[in-house]
Amino acid sequence: MIIALLVAALIPTISQTIDSTPPRRSPRTLAIDERLAADAKILIGDRLVLSSTPGGVGDTVFVSAFVRRRADPSEVARAEYRVRMHLDQLQTLIGYGDRVDRFAVGTPTPGAADSAIRLINAAAFGFQGFRSRDIAVQTSRTFAVVTRFHRAIGVITIVASAIFLLCIMLLKVDERRRDVAALRLLGISSRSIVRGVMVEAALMASIGSGAGVVLGWVAAQIINWHYRGVYRTPLAFALVTPGIVALAVSLSLVLGLIAGFLAAQRLVRTPPLELLTGRREPRVPFEPAPTA
Amino acid sequence: MLLRLAWATLSRHRTRTLLAILGVAVSAAMLLDMVMLSTGMRASFKELLSIRGFQLRIAPKGTMPFDTDATIPDVSDVVRTLRAMPDVGTISPVLGGQLHVQVGERAVTAATIGADPTVQGDYEIVEGRLPGAPNDVVASEDFLTATGLRIGDTLSAAAGYDAQLRSFAGRRTLTMVGRAHFLYMAAGQLIVSVPLSTLQEMQGSRSLDRASLIMIRARDGASVDAVLEQIKAALPRVSAVSIETAMLQVDKRLSYFRQLAFILGAVSLAVGFLLVTTLVTVSVNERLGEIVVMRAIGVARQRIVLQIVLEGVAIMVAGALSGLALGLVTARYLDSILSSFPGLPAAMHFFVFEARDAWMALGLLTVAGILAGVYPSWRGASLPIAVTLREEAVA
Repeated sequence: MIIALLVAALIPTISQTIDSTPPRRSPRTLAIDERLAADAKILIGDRLVLSSTPGGVGDTVFVSAFVRRRADPSEVARAEYRVRMHLDQLQTLIGYGDRVDRFAVGTPTPGAADSAIRLINAAAFGFQGFRSRDIAVQTSRTFAVVTRFHRAIGVITIVASAIFLLCIMLLKVDERRRDVAALRLLGISSRSIVRGVMVEAALMASIGSGAGVVLGWVAAQIINWHYRGVYRTPLAFALVTPGIVALAVSLSLVLGLIAGFLAAQRLVRTPPLELLTGRREPRVPFEPAPTA
Repeated sequence: MLLRLAWATLSRHRTRTLLAILGVAVSAAMLLDMVMLSTGMRASFKELLSIRGFQLRIAPKGTMPFDTDATIPDVSDVVRTLRAMPDVGTISPVLGGQLHVQVGERAVTAATIGADPTVQGDYEIVEGRLPGAPNDVVASEDFLTATGLRIGDTLSAAAGYDAQLRSFAGRRTLTMVGRAHFLYMAAGQLIVSVPLSTLQEMQGSRSLDRASLIMIRARDGASVDAVLEQIKAALPRVSAVSIETAMLQVDKRLSYFRQLAFILGAVSLAVGFLLVTTLVTVSVNERLGEIVVMRAIGVARQRIVLQIVLEGVAIMVAGALSGLALGLVTARYLDSILSSFPGLPAAMHFFVFEARDAWMALGLLTVAGILAGVYPSWRGASLPIAVTLREEAVA
C-alpha cells in the first residue's frame, strides 16, 4: 500500500502565505528519497502537497530531511521514489484507519526470536510472525538466480582459462625444446626437467594470478562506480574478498601445475635428438650385432 | 597454394593447433551467448507483449502494469472515454486478485484474472470453452492438477480475504468450463480467470468498478502513437504505455544483463584474439629461417603476410564453427537458470537464437582472426633477409 501511494503534486514554494483564518495545526513534516529530491529539485523546507490519488485532495507537508537508500538488492532495479511519513499521517491520507501492513519487533537476544514468534503466533488474530532472516531468504530469491547464473559463467571462464593456460605452457615448453634436449644429452634426469618446468609453470601462474587479482580489484572498483551511478544505490556489485582471491589464486596455481606437468611430460617423452632437429627420427628395430 | 601452406604450418603442431581451436571455440561459444543475451530478452519481451495484438496498456498513474497492487478507479468512466475515441478498437479491462478454493480439507490459493472473456488478451483456451456465464471459470493446467478438478466440475471459491477479521468479502460456487494457457504467467503458477464483474463483486468494495490494467488495441490503420497521445490528453489520472514505452522500462531494468553481455562478449573476443596472436607469433618466430628463405627466392611480402594472416583466420573460423554449436548448448543451460526468476512469464527467454547473432559472432571472430595475424605477419614480412639467414644458419 505504501508503494501505491502516489505523490501527486510536488509544489516547492518559496514562502508561506499569510492567512486570515484562525490558526490551524501546523503542517507535518516528511523525509524524502534523495533521488526524488535531486530529480524534482526539492530542498529542505520546501512545501509539498501529497494526495493518495492523482489530482485528489491533498495534505500539505514540509520536507524536513532527505533519506539515502539502504543497500537493498531487492530494490536495485526498481526506479521508485520513496517518502517517509509519520504513521498516523499516512493512515489518514490513504484512509487506512488504525491499520498497519507489518510490525518490526526487536528481541533482547537473537535466541529469543523463536520464542517471541511462538508467543506472537499463539496470541495473534489475523497476523503471523516471521523471522527477518526467513523474509530475507524469500525476497532474495531473484539474487539466488543471478548468483547461479554468475557461477555458470564462472565455470565457462575457468574452462577457457584452463585451455589458454595449457596452450601457453605448451608454447613455452616448445620454445625451449633445444635447451631441454641439451640438458637431457648432458644426463639431467627427466624428473628434474619435469620439476623445472613445473616450477616455471607455478611461477607463471603466481605472477599471472597476482596481476589478475590487481586487475580484478580495479575492475570491481570500476563496476561498482558505474552501477552505483546507474542504479543510484550504495550497493556493492562486485566484491574482491580474501576468499575469492584465495580461490582464484589456488585455482590458477593448480591449473598452471597441471598444464606444466602435461607439457613437460610431452617434452621428456620425445627423444632428445628429435627435440634438437625438430624432425621425427625413424624408429629402427633393435637388431643384435651378428656374431662371428 | 596459400591455403595449403597455411594448413601445412598448422598441422605441423597438431596438439597446439587443436588446443588453440578449442580455446577459440569456448570463446566463440561465450561470445555467441552474450550476443544472444544482449538481443534475446528484448526480442522475447516484445513478442510476448505483441502476442495478442494489444498495442497500448493503461495502468494506475505512475506505475507499470501489474507492478504494484494499485488499481484504476472508475473504470466504467475510463472505458466510456476510450470508446468515444474513433481510433480505439478493442478495450479489455483486467483486474488482478486471488481466489481461495476449498478442495476437501485444504484451501488452494490461485492468482486470478478478472477480464471480459470475449476481448481478453491474457489467455488462450486449450480445452473446453471461454467463460460465458458470470460464474464460469477457466484455469491453468497446474491449477487443475493441484486441485484435481476437471472441466464441468463446480468449486467453492472465495476472494477478498481480510487477514485481521479472517473473513472473505465474497464467496461463490463457480463452474470450471475450460483449461487455458496463460500468456504472461510464470511456470508452475496456479491461475484462474473469471469474468471481470465477478471478480470485482467477489473482492468487495475495494475492487468495485476498478481494474489493475486496461489493454487497448487500436483500429486497423490507426496510428498507435496518435491514440496514445489522445489517451494521455483525455485521461491524465492514469499512465498510458505503448509497447515501445514498456520496452524502454524493461531495457532500464534489465540493463545490467545487457551490459554484462557486452563486457563478457568483449572479454571473450579479447581472449580469442590474444590466444591466436600468441600462437601465430610463436609459430612465426619458430620459422623465421623458412620465411626469409621464401623471401630470398622471390616470394612477395604480400603473399607471406597473407599466408600468416590466413593461419590466424583458419584457427578462428575453425574454433568459431565448433564454438557456435557449443554456444547453443550453453545458451540453453544459461536460459534455464535465468528463466527461473520468480514471477517471470514462462514464455519469456533471455537467450533467443537468431541467425544474425551467429553471423555477428562469426564476423567478429573473423575480424579478430585477421587482426591477430597483423603483428606476426608484419614481423615476418619485415625481416632483413641476409641478417636473418646468417643468424638462423649460426643457430
